[in-house]
Amino acid sequence: MNAMPHTADSHSRGRDIRRILIEDFDNGFTAMVREYQPGIYSGARRLTAGPHDAEDVAQDTFVRAYKALSEYEPERIAELKIRPWLWTIALNLCRSRARTKAAEFEFQESDAAITDEPEAFDEAAWVARLGSLNDAQRTAVVLRYVLDLPIAEIAEATERPVGTVKADISRALDRLRLTMKAEVLHAR
Amino acid sequence: MPDDTTHADMTELEQSLTALASMPPDSLLRRTVVSVGSADEAATTDSPIGPVWIAWSTRGVTAVSPLFASPLFDDFALIHRRTAFEANHLPNELAEAVTSALDSGDSAGVPIDTTGIGTFQQAVLGACATIPAGQVRPYGWIASEINNPGSVRAVGSALGKNPIPLLIPCHRVVRSDGSLGNYAFGAEIKHDLLIREGAILA
Repeated sequence: MNAMPHTADSHSRGRDIRRILIEDFDNGFTAMVREYQPGIYSGARRLTAGPHDAEDVAQDTFVRAYKALSEYEPERIAELKIRPWLWTIALNLCRSRARTKAAEFEFQESDAAITDEPEAFDEAAWVARLGSLNDAQRTAVVLRYVLDLPIAEIAEATERPVGTVKADISRALDRLRLTMKAEVLHAR
Repeated sequence: MPDDTTHADMTELEQSLTALASMPPDSLLRRTVVSVGSADEAATTDSPIGPVWIAWSTRGVTAVSPLFASPLFDDFALIHRRTAFEANHLPNELAEAVTSALDSGDSAGVPIDTTGIGTFQQAVLGACATIPAGQVRPYGWIASEINNPGSVRAVGSALGKNPIPLLIPCHRVVRSDGSLGNYAFGAEIKHDLLIREGAILA
């Protein structure tokens, strides 16, 4: 279900991709997009206004990554932690998008309800619930649970200490529980 | 803490969050790698030697390969090393230029992308591209055109690995004694192409 489990497998795939990037840049880059773009899309889907924004972020992240990587020395590529590095780029893009949207999450709610594919769970409700979190909490909880990223990687991607990320996740879960309790009370 | 929880230990809330994962549209990978020039697209079109795969980047045609040489798209991608995504057809403008070039033997109107090809082979292919339809040149002519008269054998091998045959007309390069010499797709096809162009008599 999760796009990118943090298993030994994903570590060895990351190593393989770094090797191909050094030996055969274009094929390595394509392999990198194939491996990581679904996750970037899936996360951006919950951190931007809708599927269209998520596609833009998922494409632009790799356009920027391509420009950066084509100037990196092989030694730098060999040591690159690709997934958190990509997420640092992607989160910047998500944030600048959020800034340019006039009415951030109120707008997103209706956007999601109209444009999204029909899903088994209550899409609009989840947009509102995630919208009740602050940026740092929403980012941490999406990267942790929607993408199954380890805490250490989230800390790298967001350039925040591990302890802070843990606290963000913990507060986010508390907040979501409260929101959902309130929903139940309202529904009665 | 969520750090090392397995899914079995997850709360209902945490499980609901994992269900928020979604997949991008199929076309996103292709759009992304094609837009930065990291991969090509490819489609088939007709040519004087039967249907051929044509691959193109944002800069121009990167490869030509007859279907009898690589009947499957996978073979084609393997032969040409760069990843190419199969498309339904060439973009209109490129399709017109390619069709007209294959028909007339004059490829001047087709953008060609030789990125990634070594400088020696680029020089050989560049000289070869100047040979007009209906004419032939010996391997030695190319060697002297690129100011490397001693490189006749290397010229032959560079032409043998021409990734863009037909559009870069390596079939117009022959031996100095007038015999046709080798061709990646067989001497018979080379012969037929030259007859078609009026370079040699049937």
